[in-house]
Amino acid sequence: MTHQVALTIITRIKPGETEDIKQLLKAMGNNAAQNDLIPFGKISTVHFARFVMLDESIDLHGTVISPRLVFMAECDAPLHRLFNELADMAGDGLDKIYSHCEGYPIGSALTSARRLAYLQANMVKVQAFYVNTVGRMVQQIRQESQLRNAIQDFLDHAQQDWSGHSSLEVRTKILAYIRSERALSWASTPPAQPGLVFELKETLHMVGMPLLLLILLPILILALPIWLLLLRIYELNDAASDIKPGDAHVRELENLEDFVAQNQFNAVGYIKPGWFRRLTVQCILMAVDYGTRHIFNKENLAGVKTIHFARWVVIDELRRVIFASNYDGSLESYMDDFIDKVAWGLNAVFSNGVGYPKTSWLIFNGAKDEHAFKDYIRVHQIPSQVWYSAYDHLTALNIANNAKIRAGLYRNLSETEAEEWLRLL
Amino acid sequence: MADSLDLQDIQGLIIRGYGALKAACYILLEINAPQPAKKWLSILVDTLTTGQIWPVEKALNIAFTYAGIKKLGLEPAIQAMFSKEFIDGMTTPHKSLLLGDVEESSPAHWMWGGPDTRPIDMVLMMFAVDNHELSNVYNAYAQTFAAHGLLEVLKLDTVDLGNKEHFGFHDGVSQPMIEGLREAGTSLNTIKAGELLLGYPNEYGLYTDRPLLKPALDPQGVLPRDSDGSGNADLGRNGSYLVFRQLRQDVRSFWQFLDGATKNPDGSSNPIARLKLASQMVGRWPSGAPLLKTPDHDDPQLANMNDFTYYQADPYGFNCPIGAHVRRVNPRDSLDPEPGSEQSIAVGKRHRILRRGREYGPPVDPMELLSVEKTMAENQDRGLHFLCLNANISRQFEFIQQTWVDNPHFNGLYDDADPIVGTHCPDGGTFTIQAKPVRKRLTSLPRFVTVAGGAYFFLPGIRAIRYLASL
Repeated sequence: MTHQVALTIITRIKPGETEDIKQLLKAMGNNAAQNDLIPFGKISTVHFARFVMLDESIDLHGTVISPRLVFMAECDAPLHRLFNELADMAGDGLDKIYSHCEGYPIGSALTSARRLAYLQANMVKVQAFYVNTVGRMVQQIRQESQLRNAIQDFLDHAQQDWSGHSSLEVRTKILAYIRSERALSWASTPPAQPGLVFELKETLHMVGMPLLLLILLPILILALPIWLLLLRIYELNDAASDIKPGDAHVRELENLEDFVAQNQFNAVGYIKPGWFRRLTVQCILMAVDYGTRHIFNKENLAGVKTIHFARWVVIDELRRVIFASNYDGSLESYMDDFIDKVAWGLNAVFSNGVGYPKTSWLIFNGAKDEHAFKDYIRVHQIPSQVWYSAYDHLTALNIANNAKIRAGLYRNLSETEAEEWLRLL
Repeated sequence: MADSLDLQDIQGLIIRGYGALKAACYILLEINAPQPAKKWLSILVDTLTTGQIWPVEKALNIAFTYAGIKKLGLEPAIQAMFSKEFIDGMTTPHKSLLLGDVEESSPAHWMWGGPDTRPIDMVLMMFAVDNHELSNVYNAYAQTFAAHGLLEVLKLDTVDLGNKEHFGFHDGVSQPMIEGLREAGTSLNTIKAGELLLGYPNEYGLYTDRPLLKPALDPQGVLPRDSDGSGNADLGRNGSYLVFRQLRQDVRSFWQFLDGATKNPDGSSNPIARLKLASQMVGRWPSGAPLLKTPDHDDPQLANMNDFTYYQADPYGFNCPIGAHVRRVNPRDSLDPEPGSEQSIAVGKRHRILRRGREYGPPVDPMELLSVEKTMAENQDRGLHFLCLNANISRQFEFIQQTWVDNPHFNGLYDDADPIVGTHCPDGGTFTIQAKPVRKRLTSLPRFVTVAGGAYFFLPGIRAIRYLASL
């Protein structure tokens, strides 16, 4: 099994202990890979991981939602391997963190099994999950980066000047070098493919959903005009957003950004009141789930090639949505990509949230209002107290290119194909 | 066109670079007494050069930092309507990180604009036909500073190197044209006025945020009215944000590095290979001719050649390397969502700036630097006073600097920050030259250009200056 899973664990923080957790996580965040609590760098299946705190919040009806601790990780299947590694390597750390959360076992009740049971009991379903390339494991990403670096060093040192050689000659020398390196022996076989069961499940989903829609078509045809009419009425009555993000809030977020090749992003917001928006957001997220699983599952999310993972999680009994992602480069370029390339997709989901720039017919305008959209992003963004990346020097494009270099090792190439392959270097 | 440009209200520097005025200096000023300073400003405003005239003897323009604007007494609620980048300035820790102002470029070492140097409130930019005329202009104004509560913090001089910069390359070939201004621009190179001027629609068809005042705050009607139709007075209209950075160029280390990287097997220098490598790093030959059009040798006939795109002719960087300076500061049609498409060009047009920089410091012949005995003696400060104009600092100047220039992963690369002006990782950067049968690459690239000062300024329209002076 090599597909990826989005793990989300949400727990309630005990009253008055928010600051304690914040302090713990702050120390941990200084070195997410090798800290004493959960040394993510030692956990072999995790691509990215983060802790995010949701402060106390008052919902649209005035009800208080108590503070929550959210743990999110993008990891290789099966999930139990992650849990086992966590239990083996970070039992004490989990205790230190989660003893500040409600319901965590204490004293003699604290066994490895109970710890895991607690985490598993607080797992939350993810409505939609984008994976840059389904099936590419942490180990594969790291190995293929090592392969690329080795070839580069070989090219630099073996010979000053390669001009005058044919593409096939150069390639042959590279292949001979790879074969001679013990550290690259893994490269003699192609990467593992996603498991059969997973593939079967995905195929069923890919075929089944359109079939289901077909069956429901008569109802949908009747419902669609009503839905559109309601949508338009709601949209026209939505207030325009004009909240500016606070200076201190933006500074806190900025100070976590731009240290490595990637950045983390979290946003949380309320779904607009009433059944209509709740229903719409759930239907749209089902469509997003379908799109990410069957259409945008290889290196490209509707024209954006800089996102490693993204997820949408509906929480608090359909009151709030969390969006979390790992992307390459600056927030400015991330937001510009949203506006320039996938405004329609963002509008469809986020226009159901309070404070989003006004849309028309769900997908138009909205994010196209540059300033309003960028303000909305910062207003709803919340910091990751801890953020870990297993390969923080690689962009999604680098990873994709490395995979192509490796994939080109396994068959005989013509001179033209060899030329193309060498262009990857 | 719905909204023609108010040339008489636009400061001239936005419309033209004053190429015929060969001498220039920038006076950095601190306001010590706001009232006399405003009096001074109210007189000065009538002598500023506007976009309507083509000056032949001298020109004068002025811009303000956020600190300066605050001293003039604008209401806090109005001040807060300036862009966040302008308000925060160029030297917050996060800004230093994203602009690459670290280590020797850190604001802590700056000669001006840094945390430990005197505050800068205004920059007075003077241009004249020659140095004699410039010193006349300068002396005339300098006499007025003290009596009006102004302190000259620093006078930054410039030098005229023709159209070359200190490394020896033709600079400033590619500039965006403002729509509605000149007819000659190609569509590739023509951008909406709102990309450079506040108060006009930008490439999104929207108005960039700017300070808008309730009409009651401008009862005399000094300011233009918001052309977006809100009925408010528009303090931003006809103004622009001016990014000013003093970039120090290490000409010796640049040519020494290139010389070392291109030596013949017998250890002797190879001037032809050295020049070619330098040109590959720039993306244009010393004359300005683009490598895209002439990859093997310079061709002065193509010195001002600018009507080209990259992707169709050279998708893999065999003519002009993918990471070359000019191919990353203006990628034209190189980037996603689909290289070579109109969409790619449209995205690129949202990240343009208008450059107005001038060189400073004595010129030096690279060949002299390479000879051993001169190498030790020559240690003068020289470089570029980089000035650029844009309406949205974060989407234009900062984006170009962070996402294109300093990004080692630009356009699919791995460790290649800009070979000319980029900030490299501590053990040096990489420069990849795409080639057949396989790429060449240089490693351990040092940083050739460092930052010695800088600030974000607001270059207001003439009426806005009159308003500020009246507060």
